[in-house]
Amino acid sequence: MPDAFGLAAIVTKFALYLGIMTSVGTVMATLMFRFDRTRSLVMGFAGLGLIAAMLAFSLRGANLTGDISGMMDPEMLGLLWTTPVGTALLLRLVGLSLLILGVFLGRAGLWISLLGGAVAIWSFIQIGHIAGRDRTLLDIALMLHLLAAALWIGVLTPLRRLASSIDTYASAADVGHRFGVVASVTVPVLIIVGGYMGYHLVGSFLALIGTGYGQGLIIKVVFVGGLLGLAAANKLRFIPALRAGDPAAASHLSKSISIEWLIILAVLGMTAVLTSNLKLPT
Amino acid sequence: MKTLLLAGVIGIWATAVMAHSPLEKTIPANEATITQMPTEVLMDFKGDIRLTKVSITHADTHSMDMDLGEQTSFAQEFSLPMQDMGAGVYVVEWRGLGADGHALNGTFSFTVE
Repeated sequence: MPDAFGLAAIVTKFALYLGIMTSVGTVMATLMFRFDRTRSLVMGFAGLGLIAAMLAFSLRGANLTGDISGMMDPEMLGLLWTTPVGTALLLRLVGLSLLILGVFLGRAGLWISLLGGAVAIWSFIQIGHIAGRDRTLLDIALMLHLLAAALWIGVLTPLRRLASSIDTYASAADVGHRFGVVASVTVPVLIIVGGYMGYHLVGSFLALIGTGYGQGLIIKVVFVGGLLGLAAANKLRFIPALRAGDPAAASHLSKSISIEWLIILAVLGMTAVLTSNLKLPT
Repeated sequence: MKTLLLAGVIGIWATAVMAHSPLEKTIPANEATITQMPTEVLMDFKGDIRLTKVSITHADTHSMDMDLGEQTSFAQEFSLPMQDMGAGVYVVEWRGLGADGHALNGTFSFTVE
């Protein structure tokens, strides 16, 4: 069982994942589907990512001293700054700042936001279990995995907003259909590269079922399975019904997206546990 | 569903470790019983680490932080002077930073008869 700092690290990492993935995903979805009124959504989640990134860095300082004084200890924080943890923080601060700046510069500024988002996501390559492997293919796999997941997360809230007003049912149906087409490529990529990384990190079926890390990964995959079920229902039932003019489909789609959000929170939470608290099988 | 999730998470934590523990060996060895108090403890790690905190607890009562003033670089081996606090169990708790930025920690103990 983790101590108080271990629990705080998990919660902070969850907030970091939520902040970065949602803000970057919303920028990607806004560019791809030309959503309106997403600035506050992007800024809110990017702000959450910034705060969580600084808190996560500071908490690592506490981990080094074993007490709360480490969170502000210049020697500990200076020491951390010289390691890949410092590089990751720098990328997150620069990336998320660019992302926020871009949303104030009109439509073209979204490309600056996208660049910033890519920098912020690139920070996850610097530290963690994949970084320890030092393999280019795994880095590319993680980047693709995160970008595909971010797009999925980013499309949900604007799509639910469109599905919540009768005036925008047609737009919701159109976006839902176009996202379904995009997802038919990105979701298999998400799953294939996820499986590839899982295979490299866990290594064997025995380790998958016999270690905490493997069991955590199984729980995450079960959650993702639930997400795929909901996504299939959206693509095969609710979106076609909405396109055919069935108003009840909008309500079903909206509810389905709310449940998707809950499962995504569970997936991000499980990922935070996997990356903070569990040792890789050896 | 909630109970199932909770059971799963508790099960995972039960088999989890808080941080990586890369200690190769110590002198005195973990759980060793020795007749004479050593003048120093040796900690040998699998890779380079910068020690950030080492504390020693004697017989569950007296605890003190060791002075790491001279340990200001990443290294694999550390030799720390020990203070004789008499017979009993000595528990050494250490914390450090791996060169890859991972926080590391661990504990070992030995008994002086």
